[in-house]
Amino acid sequence: MGGWTGVVALVILLTGALCGVHAVAAATRLPGTLEAGPFLSGAAPREHAVSRYHVRWYPVTLLFLAFDMEMIFMYPWAVVVAEVGASALAEMFAFLVLLMVGVGYAWREGAFRWT
Amino acid sequence: MDVSGRLLRYAAGRPRPLVVTAPHATGVRLLAEAEIGRRGWRPAEAPAGASLLVVCGIPEDALARAVRTVWHQIAAPKAFVPLSPDRTAEAVAAELDAAVSRLADARAQREEAVRVPYGEPRGRDGGGRGGAEHHGDEGHGGHEHDMGRPGGVRMAERGPDRDGLALDRLHVPLGPVLPYWPAGLVVETTLQGDVIQEAEVRIAGGAAGAHGARAGATRFWDEPWLAARAGWPVTRGAAARRTAGAQLDSLARLLATAGWAGAAAEARRLRDRVLGEGPREEVVRRYDRFARRVGRSRLLRWMLHDLGAIDAPGGTDVPGWARGDVLDRTRHRLAGTAAALAVLDDRSPLDDEEGPRGPVGGHPSEALLAVLPGLLTGAELAAARLIVASLDPDLDQVRPGRVTAHG
Amino acid sequence: MGETVAAVVLLAALAVLAAGAAAFDASLAAGRVAIGDPLREAARLLVTQRRRTLLPDAPLRRIGVSGLPLVAVLAAAVLPMGEHAVADLPVGVVWFNGMEVGVWGALWLIGWSVNSVYPLVGGYRFLAQGLAYELPHMFALISAALGAGSLRVADVVAAQRGLWFAVWMPVAFAVYLISALAMAFWGPMNQAVGPDVAGGVPAELSGPDRLVFQAGRYTLLTVASAAAVPLFLGGGAGPALPPWSWTLVKTVAVLALLVWAGHRLPTIRMDRFMAATWLVLIPAVLLQILVVGIVVL
Repeated sequence: MGGWTGVVALVILLTGALCGVHAVAAATRLPGTLEAGPFLSGAAPREHAVSRYHVRWYPVTLLFLAFDMEMIFMYPWAVVVAEVGASALAEMFAFLVLLMVGVGYAWREGAFRWT
Repeated sequence: MDVSGRLLRYAAGRPRPLVVTAPHATGVRLLAEAEIGRRGWRPAEAPAGASLLVVCGIPEDALARAVRTVWHQIAAPKAFVPLSPDRTAEAVAAELDAAVSRLADARAQREEAVRVPYGEPRGRDGGGRGGAEHHGDEGHGGHEHDMGRPGGVRMAERGPDRDGLALDRLHVPLGPVLPYWPAGLVVETTLQGDVIQEAEVRIAGGAAGAHGARAGATRFWDEPWLAARAGWPVTRGAAARRTAGAQLDSLARLLATAGWAGAAAEARRLRDRVLGEGPREEVVRRYDRFARRVGRSRLLRWMLHDLGAIDAPGGTDVPGWARGDVLDRTRHRLAGTAAALAVLDDRSPLDDEEGPRGPVGGHPSEALLAVLPGLLTGAELAAARLIVASLDPDLDQVRPGRVTAHG
Repeated sequence: MGETVAAVVLLAALAVLAAGAAAFDASLAAGRVAIGDPLREAARLLVTQRRRTLLPDAPLRRIGVSGLPLVAVLAAAVLPMGEHAVADLPVGVVWFNGMEVGVWGALWLIGWSVNSVYPLVGGYRFLAQGLAYELPHMFALISAALGAGSLRVADVVAAQRGLWFAVWMPVAFAVYLISALAMAFWGPMNQAVGPDVAGGVPAELSGPDRLVFQAGRYTLLTVASAAAVPLFLGGGAGPALPPWSWTLVKTVAVLALLVWAGHRLPTIRMDRFMAATWLVLIPAVLLQILVVGIVVL
C-alpha cells in the first residue's frame, strides 16, 4: 500500500476525535443558542462583513505564482542533481537568476510596498 | 453524575475577562488589571472568547449601549463584574471572587443561557441580533428580509478609494469596547480592505455628555498637579510616580498592540509596582532591564518607524513629545519613565505643570484627538492601532463638547 | 495493522506534545506555572452554549476549523517517530509541504465564514503572510532534499549520519524556523490572530469550534517543530538513547524555543516583511542551495 493505509487511518481517527469533541460538547454545553452580532466594539453592523476585499498586495501574488511554478520543477531536480552533475546546477541557477532579476524589477516598481 | 456541572466548576477557576473602562475610572482599571494579572487570568480579546465582562467605572450613553451589546454577545457561562470607580483593591478582588462563584453555579448559568435579552424574542430568524436598538440610527426597521438586506443588514456598497478605484467599504467603529484602547474613545472608520478611508473621532461614555463635568469626574494621571494647584501639599516624588506609571501604562498598551505580550506584561507589572509605592532601587533595577530589552529590539524599531508621523506644528498645540513617528514617541516614553524614576524620592514640593501628557492646564489630549483623524486616514488597521496606542490620549482630560474631529 | 498502530501512536504523541506546548504557553503568559490552564479552558469551551454570528456560512466554518488539525496531522504522517513514519512516502518532503499549505485555506475559510470584519482581516493577513513565508520555506525544504538527493524523509535522516544539516546548512535551518513560526501563525508571525484585530481569525469562534481551532494551532506548531528534527537535526540519531527518545527530545527543544519566541518578540507585519523576505531571505536561501548543490556534486 506504500504507506497510504496509515494516512487513511489518520484521517479516520482524527475525524472520530473531532466528532467526539462535538458530541461531548453537545452533551455538556449549556442550553440555548446565542444569536450574536459580529464584534464591532459594541456597535451593530451597518453592512455584512463579507465583501470584495481590497487586496493591495495583489502584484505579489503574481510574482508568487511565477516562483511557485518554478518550485514544482525544483523538487524532482533536487533528486537528480548528484547524478546529472554540474550542468543541472548551472541550468537551474541560470533560471533562478532570471527569476531574481524579475523580483528585482518588481521591487523597483514598488510591488512590495503597499502602505 | 452531572458532567456539565463539574466541567463548569473546573473551568470557573480560569475565566477569560474582557475589560471595558469608562472615562474617569483609570484608578479602578489599574486595580482590576493588577488583580487579573496576579491571578494569571488571560484576558479575552473579543466577546466570543470571553467569560467575564469587567466594566470599570460607570458607563453612560453610547458606552452603556456598547457594553450592553457586548454583554449579549458573550455566550454562557458568563458573569458581569461592574466595578464602580471608588473600589479598593480588596473590593475588586472580592468582586472577581464572586464572579468566579457565579461562573461555577450550574443552575444560575443554565438560567443565564436561556435568558431573553430585553424585549427581543429569542431564536427569531433575521434582524434583531446584536443590539436591536441600533437599527433606529439608520432609520431602518431592521426586520425586513428582502434580497438587498439579508438578515436585516445591507451588503457592502462601493465608494471611491484613495487611488481612484471604486471598492467595497465597511463601516467599522474602533472602540469603545476594544482591548488596549483608550477608555471612551471611538474612531468611526470607513474601511476598504484593511485601509482606513475615513476616520472620525467621538467620545463614548460621558466625558462629552452632560454628566462628564459633574463633581467627581477624576483625572487620575493628572491628580498630583491638580491637587497641588488646589493647595494640597504634593511632593515632586509623588508626581514622578504618577508620571512613570502613566508612561508605563501607555507603553504597555503600545507593546500589547504591537504583539509583544511579554514586554507588555512586564510594563504593567512595573507600573503597578511604581504606583504601589515600590522602593526606588528595585523599580529602577527592573525598569533598566525592561528598557534595555525594549529599546534595543531591532524588530520593534523595524515595525514602528515611519508610522503616524506628526511634523512640526502648523498652528496645532500638539505637545512636543508627540512629534515624530510612533518609534520616536516610544523612545520618548522610555526616556520619560527613566527621568521620572530618577526623582522618585524627591521630597520638595511640586511646583510645575508638566503632567505625563504635557501641561495639565492645557488639556493636551484634546490636541491629540484633533490630529488623530488626519493620521489615521490612509493608514492600515494595524498601523492605525499602533498610532492610537503611541499617542494614547487620556479622555479624562477632555472637556465636554470639545471633540468632533473628522478626517 | 502496523500502520494503524503507528497512526494511533502519532496522534497520541501529537496530542501530548500540543498539550505541553499549550501548558508552556499558558505558563509564560501567566508568569507562573499554569499547566492546568489549557485543560480548564477546554472544559470551559465544552460547556459554552452555542453561539451564532449574523448569517454565517456554517459549512465553510466547519471545513476551515476541522481542516486546521487535519492538515497538521497529515503533514506529520511522513515524519519518522524514531525509525519509522506512519507513511514513509517516497515524496515525503513534498507531501509535508503540500499538507502545510492547507493552512492558507483553513484560515481564510474561517475568516470569511463568520461574516465579521476582524476575522476577515485576519484571514487576508494570513494570505499575505503565506506569500511572504512560503517560498523561503520551500527552498529550505529543498536544501535538505538536495543534501540527501531524495525526497523521502527517511533518506534525509540517513544522509545526516555524519553531520546534521543544521550545522552545514545554517541559513536553510534558520529560514525553516522562521517559516515554521509563520505556518503556525505563532508569534512573532502571528498577525493573522493579532491582538490589534481583536484576535483576528478566531475572534468569533466559541465552544468546540474554538477548542478545535486552538488545539489545531498548537498541533501545527508541534508538527512544524517536529519536522525540523528529521530535516535538519539528524532525526533519531544520538548516543545511548533509542531513536524515538532522541526524536522526542529534539522536538521538545525546538517546540519550546518556538513557543518562547512568541512571547519574546513583537509581531512582524507583512507590509514591512514582504520586501525583506523577497530581497533577503529568498536570495540567501538560494545561495544556500547553491552551496549545497556544489557540495553534493
